[in-house]
Amino acid sequence: MSPRLARKLGWNALGVALFAVMVFPVFWMISTAFKPNDQINSVNPTWFPAHPTLKHFTNAINKPYFWTDVKNTVIVVLVAVGVAMVLAFLAAVALEKYRFSGRKSFLVLLIGVQMIPGIGLIIPLYILLAHVPVLHYNLVNKLSGLIIIYVAAVLPFSVWTLRGFLMGIPKELEEAAMVDGSTRLGAFVRILLPLVAPGLVATSVFAFITSWNEYIFARLLLNDGSTQTVTVWLSYYTGSSRATDFGGLMAASTLIAIPVVLFFLLVQRRIAFGLTAGAVRG
Amino acid sequence: MGAAAEVALQRPRRRPLVWRRVRNGAVPYLLVFPVVAVLAGVLAYPLYYLVRISLERFQLFELVRGAGVYIGLDNFRSVLHDSTFWHTLLRTVVFTAANVTLTIVGGTLIALLLVRLWAAVRILLTVGLILVWAMPPVVAVQVWIWMTNVQNGVLNYILTELHIGDYFGHNWFDSSFSQLAMVTTLVVWGALPFVVITVYAALSQVPHELVEAAQIDGARAWRVFKDVTLPVITPILYILTCLSILWDFGVFTQAYLLIQQPAIVPGNYLMGIYLFEEAYFKNDYGRGAAISILMLAIVAVLSIFYVRRMVRVGEVE
Amino acid sequence: MRYRVLAVVAAAIALSVVAATAAASGKQATAHTLTVWLQVDAQNGWPQVVNAANNAFENSHSGWNVNVQYQNWGDHLQKFDATIAANNTPDVIEMGNTEMTKYMAAGAFANLSASKGQFDNSGHWLAGLKKSSMFNGKLYGVPYYAGSRLVTYRTDLFKKAGVKKAPGSLKKFEADLASVKSKNHSKGFSPFYMAGTDWYSALSFVYDYGGSIAKLSHGKWHGTLASKKSIAGLKAYRTFFRSTAPKSASKLNEANPAPYTVFSQNRTSAIFGPGWFSCCTGKKYTKVTGQFVMPSHKAGQSMPGFLGGSDLAVPGQSNSQAEARAWIAAFTNTANEKALQAVGNIPNATNLLNGTVNDRAAKASWFVPTAKHWVDVENGNILRTMLGQILTGQLSVKKAAQTASANIAYTLNQS
Repeated sequence: MSPRLARKLGWNALGVALFAVMVFPVFWMISTAFKPNDQINSVNPTWFPAHPTLKHFTNAINKPYFWTDVKNTVIVVLVAVGVAMVLAFLAAVALEKYRFSGRKSFLVLLIGVQMIPGIGLIIPLYILLAHVPVLHYNLVNKLSGLIIIYVAAVLPFSVWTLRGFLMGIPKELEEAAMVDGSTRLGAFVRILLPLVAPGLVATSVFAFITSWNEYIFARLLLNDGSTQTVTVWLSYYTGSSRATDFGGLMAASTLIAIPVVLFFLLVQRRIAFGLTAGAVRG
Repeated sequence: MGAAAEVALQRPRRRPLVWRRVRNGAVPYLLVFPVVAVLAGVLAYPLYYLVRISLERFQLFELVRGAGVYIGLDNFRSVLHDSTFWHTLLRTVVFTAANVTLTIVGGTLIALLLVRLWAAVRILLTVGLILVWAMPPVVAVQVWIWMTNVQNGVLNYILTELHIGDYFGHNWFDSSFSQLAMVTTLVVWGALPFVVITVYAALSQVPHELVEAAQIDGARAWRVFKDVTLPVITPILYILTCLSILWDFGVFTQAYLLIQQPAIVPGNYLMGIYLFEEAYFKNDYGRGAAISILMLAIVAVLSIFYVRRMVRVGEVE
Repeated sequence: MRYRVLAVVAAAIALSVVAATAAASGKQATAHTLTVWLQVDAQNGWPQVVNAANNAFENSHSGWNVNVQYQNWGDHLQKFDATIAANNTPDVIEMGNTEMTKYMAAGAFANLSASKGQFDNSGHWLAGLKKSSMFNGKLYGVPYYAGSRLVTYRTDLFKKAGVKKAPGSLKKFEADLASVKSKNHSKGFSPFYMAGTDWYSALSFVYDYGGSIAKLSHGKWHGTLASKKSIAGLKAYRTFFRSTAPKSASKLNEANPAPYTVFSQNRTSAIFGPGWFSCCTGKKYTKVTGQFVMPSHKAGQSMPGFLGGSDLAVPGQSNSQAEARAWIAAFTNTANEKALQAVGNIPNATNLLNGTVNDRAAKASWFVPTAKHWVDVENGNILRTMLGQILTGQLSVKKAAQTASANIAYTLNQS
């Protein structure tokens, strides 16, 4: 075996080992979802259930409002991510391409808002959304209220990251765009968009997962079973004073992780994770 | 390093003159306006509210009544004289340093590893990371509790089977230190995917020619990384580090749920828990607001190094 | 160019608004809606009772619609606080009985004293629940249901050890457990399992000896855990724990591991906790699970059990207080309370008790001091710390009790 192949094998073995270690808790969650109740807390840990059961999954799907809440979450997250990506990209372009006064303050503001502890904002944000000034509109228990909060939550990171990716574009390509005779913003965007796509994808995955798993504000603002998101639906498993249905909780969690993986698989092509192997060097 | 690579690197990273001639006009402000509008719309009132009630006695009685009583800086004085605050602060700073270091260094190393893998293994590891990222914190905490169970947790089982030591009946939550160490493993584990995927995406912008040129010239991996890769991903690393500091300093959910409320005592408070206890368990919202503001100030100081770098990167001086 | 930018931004915002408002579903707003907050226990355990109450209310109040919004125990108070601040509270809210006092003292609830007769069996409400609904002599809540503490045990193991009937005294119970232990030598088996810091169960011993946690005198709270009687109770607890429960549980709490989990793993033959523990003792042992009331150290009597439970209150900000009271009356009427009893709860009135082991446990009960800051004592884990110190021997009973007592007094006397 050539030393090169040996080294390659070594890296890949390490990759597989790392996968095993990182994914182990996820494996435990999925494995538990298939275990009948008396195996979940058995004295000796059971790795693979001898008699797997689908009961937990069917129970989870039949719990009130499962599909409704999944639909709500998909709407909230897709809209929030979509809006946030557009707004963040535009702002990042402004930061990278133009030198305007107030630019540094804007950057610092973006980081500053991330420094506010979220827990402290619960009460005032609720007051704000219950009595939206000027509009006199009550956004509590409405998906749009939550969407606005999620957009605000992911914007700072998105703007910063997209700016970072824009800065990483080699100057030759920027110059090529200029030589093209286009000093116009539209052309600039058209040419650079594919180059910054990996950054957009990474940022959108972050925005998607952050919004998908967000609990505190979803719980605070959405009250009706029919308007809630899937994290609130999940919280009912652990919210009673009685025993927790762990099998059901694990099955439910496995189910709601699926859309996240699907979203990632859909957008991952842009980061050259596998389909364009070899495009990345480090 | 070879001549070709050196020449390539020495090209100044300045904007070409042609950019400066572009008239700004109102365009940048229009582009930036929506973001400012959303953030201001959502946060202006809450910030005002936080500052206002931090200067008031605002407890449950005042909450019901709808108005607080102005007491000036008493809340701040009371918090700053509370020894719990200082002990918690120190503990949280150490906790944050440990978590951020592990997350950023580990995440970058894994991203670099991803580059060297065969496509199949890369996809495997990446999907694995996404699954980790997608797991809700409540569920991850519960799995952690099972894995570290004193009697029948797999962690003790595996460690004993692998002959790393006799961990039968070992209690991983014995002391404040071990409790926070367990929280660290959970937080870092949950934070790695985000760092790995972002850094990996950033690595895709490293110019292949430079890397290949350096490798052909016989440069060792560390030098290639330091001179070619690092400059490109530095902006992203600054952002990730800064955000990790912010998030890990204020971490609440994982710590609170993993240590579990019956075992939470001032000896294992983190700032997020301390804030929650003061504001919501003791219903002293005014004090909680004061703590929030202090936390904001402290974390601003902790991250100032990175913020300045981030703002300055890519600037024309 | 700038218009193109504007167009993109505008389109994004418009799209999102359309999508969001189109998606915002929820109950059709009828003429009037009554908003009720119940814990998710009701959704899981007795949804038919909720439906019955809603139907009865809607039938007698035309044009009204009941919107039940289910809450979690862990965060319902934080949500409630936010709604108070925003003047957007529900019309009815379920509160844990230990959570009531703080909110009653702050004036968050409407005074129901004048309407007491509206509620079924109000003359016979369980003493523990009634106490938790009253503040300064006025009524602010309606008892909903209760739960007490029982010993859940393995009938087969007790039978094998020759124990014929439920022990009549604590001493007899200890002896019975020793018999079970002598007949069972599996590794890690302990005849009794209890989390050492489970104060809900442990302080029963204190009250059994006539001690208490704190007493109010002349407007000030005095910690009484260091009184002679309380110390006798704590010592009795330590003796009982050390002779029957595993040492490793000395500092553990009852959430992790859950006692019924230990039971289902065949690591113990008896546990002490809420009556609903019998739900989860494992498929293998369901048929051999029995319950009896924890005996007192005085022969023939029961040890007082902690009376947990919930009350229903009407937030003072509600604009539909009359309707809220009507709904509560419908929800807690005799028929519904009997239905709650049928699924394993203790109903809210003594005249409804019917001699099940659960109900018998309710006869001898204790409750926490009804102090504004009691919840702070709970959240500060003062009692848990004390119990851990006592059981591990870190401090003498007297020293640990004195420290805890001082801490409790300090906490309760805060303004």
